[in-house]
Amino acid sequence: MPGKEGLTLFFPEKMAERVLTPVETRAGSAKRTIVFVIVLIVVAALAALPWYGNSVLVQFGISVLLLATLAQGWNIIGGYTGYASFGNSVFYGLGAYGVAIAMVQFKLPFWIGMIAGLVLAVVFAAALGAAVLRLRGHYFAIATLALAFIMTAIVSNVEIAGSNIGLVLPLLKSDVLFYELALGLLVLATMTVWWLANSRFGLGLISIRENEEGAAVMGVNTTLYKTLAFMLSAAFTGLAGGIYAYYITFIDPVGVFDVGLNVKMIIMAVFGGPGTVLGPVVGALILSTISEVLATKVTSIASMFFGIVIVIAVVFMPRGIADVLRRAGRSPLRYFVDNVRTHRL
Amino acid sequence: MELLAQVLVGGVLLGGLYALMALGLALVWGVLNIVNLSHGALIMLGAYATYYLFTGTGLDPFAALPITAIVLFVIGWLIQRGILNLVIRGPMFNTLLITFGIEVILTYLAQLLFSADFRAINPPYAGNNFRVLGITIPLMQVLAFAIAIGLTVAMWLFLLHTRVGRGIRAASQNLVAARLYGVNPRSIYALTFGIGSALAGVAGGLYGTVSQINPYIGGPLTAKSFAIAIIGGLENPLGVIVGGLVLGIVESLTALYAGSTYRDVASFGVLILVLILRPTGLLGRTT
Repeated sequence: MPGKEGLTLFFPEKMAERVLTPVETRAGSAKRTIVFVIVLIVVAALAALPWYGNSVLVQFGISVLLLATLAQGWNIIGGYTGYASFGNSVFYGLGAYGVAIAMVQFKLPFWIGMIAGLVLAVVFAAALGAAVLRLRGHYFAIATLALAFIMTAIVSNVEIAGSNIGLVLPLLKSDVLFYELALGLLVLATMTVWWLANSRFGLGLISIRENEEGAAVMGVNTTLYKTLAFMLSAAFTGLAGGIYAYYITFIDPVGVFDVGLNVKMIIMAVFGGPGTVLGPVVGALILSTISEVLATKVTSIASMFFGIVIVIAVVFMPRGIADVLRRAGRSPLRYFVDNVRTHRL
Repeated sequence: MELLAQVLVGGVLLGGLYALMALGLALVWGVLNIVNLSHGALIMLGAYATYYLFTGTGLDPFAALPITAIVLFVIGWLIQRGILNLVIRGPMFNTLLITFGIEVILTYLAQLLFSADFRAINPPYAGNNFRVLGITIPLMQVLAFAIAIGLTVAMWLFLLHTRVGRGIRAASQNLVAARLYGVNPRSIYALTFGIGSALAGVAGGLYGTVSQINPYIGGPLTAKSFAIAIIGGLENPLGVIVGGLVLGIVESLTALYAGSTYRDVASFGVLILVLILRPTGLLGRTT
């Protein structure tokens, strides 16, 4: 049993949240083991899905897994570091174009394209981060949003990227492969976030989120930490874009630099619980499922669905499903009413 | 040389309209401390309201603007009282996110109700223009410019010299002190958001007379409005005129020299540059 200081190092996220939830006991450790075992079983069941599910389910699975990866990628910069990026779709687009350009223009194999897309996204994040991460709050959010609008226009004029017509990739009819790749990427992203939640680096990010000046005073190199978080976020988002490009076999600027994609990743992370390890994944799964069902039943409302979820989630459960579950003992109705009471005028 | 002058005049005329677009965003931002990401969607709704008043009743689009303003005021008032008021004391990210959600709802609601087709408000005199010193000036753009600048100045006078205007300014400077002097924040906030929406609506109506509209114009217009508000600063409503003119001229020059596909790249590039180099705005302090 580690001492109190050992606990601080080992559960930095818990310590940071102590202000919010004073109920934290040794039972937490047992609970973590149970959660870990459940996650392991779920991952195994998901990995085996292509062998007992039908092709429609596998295709739906690919889209959910990629969206969950995007939400998890956003979670690193938005949830843990507290910088609400509205421009992560840029990394998605760069990852997709990395694969497409490598495969179509240079006839290189897929995996080299993935590396190209990864490098493109991460380098872009580093260069961009140095500039826009100095901005706080609204300013950062809008600067990244503006960037997302810019990229579509710029890529539409790049000849090697197929200008505004786009690129057609070679067809590989193996949904199972794409499914397992997407699952692997999501597991990798989630493990990274889990490591964040339990590492000194992650603690630094959380301290930036809670109080940036305070973090700097305590010796956190905030610029470096923020930029690294942004690059990490870009890496997973870019890889997801790369898988998507080869899976869908056709990409164009409007499609992969889609600003609407930001809406989805942000709302999935926020709905599930920003700054938690599993929240964004659960959020992506729940929202994608509902959205898919709506899309087949009532098409017209499906597109509005994410907007409605954002409004309801922000009003009633601004800290996500993870926080609702954490307070499972209390009446949920009361929890919702309390949230409204605290934040209304 | 003549071409350059022509383009500059076009930029200035566009800039006036941009100023009016940004005015509502700057007002709401300054008073409620909310960056309203649904502002562009409200502009879009205003454009559709004017379009349907024009095609449905045959009303002149410029005469329809006051009705558009009233409709949008009511919508804005309801959004503030019904939704934003519930989260206004929450963290900044939540208010930003919720207006983003409202933007998504309004956009797809518009797509559902009005279809995704491009539309334009074209009264019979839409093609008229006149020539001054060899420069062709379209009548519609001049009218839009005049109304936009007129409204911006009127708004400035309203904030300076009326009792309600003083209440709004007081609420933006110090809410606690304003309350002590009898300002009711709830009604002032709803009123401010309503006025902001009405201004967006009128700007949308004017936008529809000089450009094409569809349900998706909102997002980029929000970003442009934000850019203008940043350039002009939030202190003085007249700052948006400067911001609007800067953006209008930059866009027109880019379209001339680099091609019109780079238009948005230029305006958002200006936004990002201003944010990085002078985050307090070119003219003044922002909150």
